[in-house]
Amino acid sequence: MKKVVITKAEVLSSLGKAMQALHANLPLDPPTATTVQDFEFHKFDSPVACFKVKDVDPVEILGKKGLRTKDWSTKLLLSALEIGLKDLLDGAEEKSRPGICVGTAFGSVDSIGNFLSESIVSGVNNVNPQAFANTVINACTSYANVRFVARALSCTVATGFNASLDAMIYAHDHLQRGYLDWIVAGGLEEVSYYSLLGMQRTGVLSSRGESRPFCTGSDGFVAGEGCALFVLETEEHARARGATPIAEIVGACSAFDPSDSGAASGESARYAFEEACRVAQITPDRLGFVAASANGVPALDEMEARLLTSLCPSVPVTAYKRYLGECYGAAAALSTACALSDMENRRVTGVGAGCHARGKFNLVTTSLQGHNSEFAAVNAFSCDGNCGSIIFKRL
Amino acid sequence: MSHKRVVITGLGAVTPIGTGIQTFWDAAVRGANGIQPLNSIDTTEFRSKVGGEVKDFDPLKHFGAEEIAHLGRSSQFAVVAARMAVAQSGLDMGKEDPYRICVCVGTTMGEPQILEQGIEIKYKTSDARKIPAGLPRQYPCGTIPANVAREFGTRGPAMMIPTACAAGNYALGYTYDLIRLGKIDAAISGGSDPFSKIAFTGFNRLLATTKDCCRPFDLNREGMAVSEGAGMLIVEELEHAKKRGAPILAELLGYGLGCDAHKMTIPDPAGSGGIEALRKALTNSGIAAEQVDYVSAHGTGTGENDKVETLIMKTVLGEHARKAPISSIKSMLGHTMGAASAIEAVACVLMIRNNVALPTINYVTADPECDLDCIPNTARNMKIDTVVSNAYAFGGNCSSIVLARYQG
Repeated sequence: MKKVVITKAEVLSSLGKAMQALHANLPLDPPTATTVQDFEFHKFDSPVACFKVKDVDPVEILGKKGLRTKDWSTKLLLSALEIGLKDLLDGAEEKSRPGICVGTAFGSVDSIGNFLSESIVSGVNNVNPQAFANTVINACTSYANVRFVARALSCTVATGFNASLDAMIYAHDHLQRGYLDWIVAGGLEEVSYYSLLGMQRTGVLSSRGESRPFCTGSDGFVAGEGCALFVLETEEHARARGATPIAEIVGACSAFDPSDSGAASGESARYAFEEACRVAQITPDRLGFVAASANGVPALDEMEARLLTSLCPSVPVTAYKRYLGECYGAAAALSTACALSDMENRRVTGVGAGCHARGKFNLVTTSLQGHNSEFAAVNAFSCDGNCGSIIFKRL
Repeated sequence: MSHKRVVITGLGAVTPIGTGIQTFWDAAVRGANGIQPLNSIDTTEFRSKVGGEVKDFDPLKHFGAEEIAHLGRSSQFAVVAARMAVAQSGLDMGKEDPYRICVCVGTTMGEPQILEQGIEIKYKTSDARKIPAGLPRQYPCGTIPANVAREFGTRGPAMMIPTACAAGNYALGYTYDLIRLGKIDAAISGGSDPFSKIAFTGFNRLLATTKDCCRPFDLNREGMAVSEGAGMLIVEELEHAKKRGAPILAELLGYGLGCDAHKMTIPDPAGSGGIEALRKALTNSGIAAEQVDYVSAHGTGTGENDKVETLIMKTVLGEHARKAPISSIKSMLGHTMGAASAIEAVACVLMIRNNVALPTINYVTADPECDLDCIPNTARNMKIDTVVSNAYAFGGNCSSIVLARYQG
């Protein structure tokens, strides 16, 4: 097995721009969600709570050229690459540039929905043909390949809530197979009218607009958006180019729960968590902390609480969705970025007081400072049945 | 590095020229044309009025009414094709470790009809509350492999790789890797896409659609035909297959990926991504260009694609490109989007099994820029041991896989 390390992380989230925003804001009290109501073609009757990316102006970051036909998802991805990884991408010769692998649940559902809406409102012969390219789910990743002339790999993974975790695992496997030496992998999701409407109709949004993972009174999640990317590379490649590894991916597992209630049965989630630990050659109690998947949806929170109570009751557990909302395909990547920030800063972010937690595990309410974690796990368990865990070792 | 060998033990296909492997194969050998006037949408306003619909697909023949209410058309195609593949393979899920069986599917549009339905309800009623609560759950494309996994009770990864029209090859490639890495024993892998108003509108607006039929490599080709379907294969570790006495239909020797990084909707005129993908595929498979007997083309019937693909073949295969025929079954099926390369992989396995190369139909006038042997109009009996199957996509996502006759 080759050692696969992370040498760089970049993130755009509702906590702000770049990893520095996580370093600075995770120790603070959890934020409240903002609201949205008006969109290009549609409007909600009343404001809907969500966590929108803040402090990001794509024109300022990317320049005006070529942005007119790009959607918000693409702008987010390109901005994250430009802020954090441009030097690295431009510094490598074209043929040596890393591949790109991005997880997203929907791609830009805003582009897809607007393309349809425009065809209904204006007629099929009046839609902008350039907008069509944005409707394919791999559009954002491909635009990134084009902008940064990254030819080695263009891959998109779309396994719902687990998409970015699976994208990281895909990249890890690709490196293990020896096809490439390095890949930029992570996740991306936007908040749009169509995604919010779908969630509203499905009844998964918190009625109070509060993101309260693991709290017994919670009745749903608050949608969020963001982008988190990581440079994954073989240890040899990192060493050869003089890069400093932040963390190593020591264990990972993706599984599926075919029961009607999705991951709520917990059997496959347990398997994924235990298998990731087995691959990492650690027992769960060696984990410095767990970044939970919990998002405030009772059945999923209850399932994960049972799992944590059973397998690692004393290990500190945090849930970054308290700060970022449920960012779907980007969620696991954003949790990974937060976990790396916590590991680097020797802390575990607390989910805040005032929550009567499910289960009997060690949910961190007030942030733990001076907490030295050698290993951290990031979970992604979803109602669609996808279950995954990934374990990082701090370097 | 692992020396596990990867084989194909089951096939399933839902296509505009027939559902079921024998039906599909018989139609393909006789050069059936699946491109016809469209039934599922009103084409009055469109420049093109034809496409490839799976007209013999009646959901009620395959699912109960309650199931149909929860499955988008793409999932229905995928599940039906997967049932065929599992049945042929004899894969008995009751005897397998469910965590070592994976589902990996590619798509371009996912379940677009769900979104189309929801938005139409919104516009017709001006009331989003009229959208059925269960409808949005069916939309994310990740539901397609999830629905296949539920059908068979598999617990390995249920992956969705939506890399547009190369997605089927990407899915097959990833399952190949998972087997070589020892993570799984077998996979249900392929691609699925339903007929999509979005895709039809988009390709019409890009002036990329044909008005009558699809003519890959022909001088007068005028575009692609938007189509639908699914192809599923059982991809399995050789020893696992042998141990359970599975039929070994072909070997998946390897694959390669590349990216043009050029434009979203137009291939790199130099074919950089396709060249890289094919070179990697041959290297990964451990074969020389001269060993390729036949090439299953991406062959969309658009001016740019076919010209660039010809260039890619000449660049990588050299003089041998003139000896290895290259045909496009999209001439018969149209472009089934994310399902295309999976259906083409199914066709490749059948070509190896039958020593018959499928034709490029509708071929009339030679194009000097597409001057390879495209097996015009009539299937050809020939020895086929090793095939390459290309698939290229929006965003310059390029892929090639190599399939070969299984030789113990």
